[in-house]
Amino acid sequence: MLNNNEYLNKLYRSDQPLIIYKNSNGFDVYTDFSKKYLINKKNIKNFLNIQTKKKKSNSNSLNCYVGFFGYKLLCENIGIKFPKQKTNNFYNGIFYQPLTKVRIRKNISIQSLKNNFRNIKIDNKKYSVLNKKFDLNLSLQQYSKLFDDFSKNIKQGKTYQIKIAQTYSKKGKVNAVELFWKLMKMNKSPESFLIRDKNYSIISCSPETLILKKKNLIKTKPIAGTLRKTKSLNKNKALSFFRKNEKETKEHNMIVDMERNDLSKICKTGSVKIEKLKRVEEYRDLFHYVSTIKGLIKKNITNHEIISSLMPGGSVIGCPKISTIQLLNNKEKNDRNIYTGSFGVIHSNGDMRFNIMIRTLLNFKNNINLSVASGVILGSTAKKEYNENYIKAKSLLELFH
Amino acid sequence: MIYLIDHEDSFTYNLAHLLDSIEPTFVSNYYDINTVKLEKSSTIVLSPGPGEPKDYPKTTKIYKKYKGKKKILGICLGFQQIVYSEGAKITQQKNILHGYQSYIKIINHKSIFKNNSEFLAGRYHSLKMAEPFNSKSMHITMRCKKTNVAMAVEDDINQVYGFQFHPDSFLTPNGKNLIKKIISR
Repeated sequence: MLNNNEYLNKLYRSDQPLIIYKNSNGFDVYTDFSKKYLINKKNIKNFLNIQTKKKKSNSNSLNCYVGFFGYKLLCENIGIKFPKQKTNNFYNGIFYQPLTKVRIRKNISIQSLKNNFRNIKIDNKKYSVLNKKFDLNLSLQQYSKLFDDFSKNIKQGKTYQIKIAQTYSKKGKVNAVELFWKLMKMNKSPESFLIRDKNYSIISCSPETLILKKKNLIKTKPIAGTLRKTKSLNKNKALSFFRKNEKETKEHNMIVDMERNDLSKICKTGSVKIEKLKRVEEYRDLFHYVSTIKGLIKKNITNHEIISSLMPGGSVIGCPKISTIQLLNNKEKNDRNIYTGSFGVIHSNGDMRFNIMIRTLLNFKNNINLSVASGVILGSTAKKEYNENYIKAKSLLELFH
Repeated sequence: MIYLIDHEDSFTYNLAHLLDSIEPTFVSNYYDINTVKLEKSSTIVLSPGPGEPKDYPKTTKIYKKYKGKKKILGICLGFQQIVYSEGAKITQQKNILHGYQSYIKIINHKSIFKNNSEFLAGRYHSLKMAEPFNSKSMHITMRCKKTNVAMAVEDDINQVYGFQFHPDSFLTPNGKNLIKKIISR
């Protein structure tokens, strides 16, 4: 019989669908999916309130659902209508129910409800990615035009801050597991994950936690503020840069108030508190400015209500949420697809953990794409924000070097 | 009961928690008013929101209907809705202040707050009330210390109050006390 390590290596080399999700102690690998739920705007409420609340169990149990909600689904879920956009018809959302969970810590441990789960076949599929540069859907000129239009909207008070997304894409089919571990060597972000299914894969080094819910305690950790790393910068210097920089401070303040608002919708009066204000987190290519906000969930609030008040995550859209999404929808020609949606786990006892799908690569229909966004805020320039987008994409783009 | 009219803002529920900790508060969208509850409420609060007062004719109607009959408080857009209903024009200001913290000074002895005192407040506005603003019973009572832009109006006879800044923001440490003073008046 295969030992745990051999099993895991064989699993990676099979074509069996699997999910890997990073946590503070290591990685969890989910596989042997007994059920796959395709989520749409009609069944999302039912899925969250009925399907995921069948049995009582604790967070360590296998009784969970792992998957994602796409951006469009999350917008439609809060009543926003979309104009026609260019789309590749990728799934709106999918959740998987695993029978096997592998915990990668100092040691590897496995929990499985499936007999003979170690019986797997190695797959000899060929992967190919053209050695070509990524195409970018917006030139600096096109970006500047959007930037100017949105600057006008800000002056008119229609939005206070708005984030323009750009998409990098190229042809190919990737070896998702290999690429994911390569990425984890380069840039192990706290919300990293991988989904490998038969006809698509998603590879992410997301740094942003949107929902951390345990019993009636909920936390969110918005990021607003990005600084490119240089040799002379360290965490302390980055902190003093952010503190002195009016644009970054204003942008961050706005997101803190916005997330306080989104939590207040579902939390007990007076329970919403800022736990950590304006900390610096360090990543491979950049520093981020991060806060943590928490609250106690009111009685009788459903998971669907929680998802609806927090998603789509505000920090990657702008503020105020509804009017800003509407302005974005009228200008963004490509659908955002998974970008700025959320990936995570829902336990059958109602506990949840979700990220925001940024720094996330989608491989579907022989196409590899990745989106990034940065904020139009008065006092910034189109060129600076355009470049900030590149820094955000860099560690994923360099996977292909 | 306080009735908070939400203009689909992403700060409304910060305000709702502030209000609710003082008196039970009901929140609804501006296009989805519960007229029975509105009628029963003792105070109407107009929330912040995107755009400008003329985008929300329904709220202007509510303001005019209940002015003098119920206590009314407006925040940011809500402040602008009050002064717009009183005949003021709304214009773009030179510097756009979203997520900005600044000192605000009480400049009028008619204010229910202590004259000449100062406090820090969070601001989210690109538009402002144009001046001069003339009204018999409504007075400008606070200004931005640096730019002199009007930050509050008070009409204590009709019990109408408006703040251009956000008492609900974490950038306004004393926000709750300001609201409390109005609600308990």
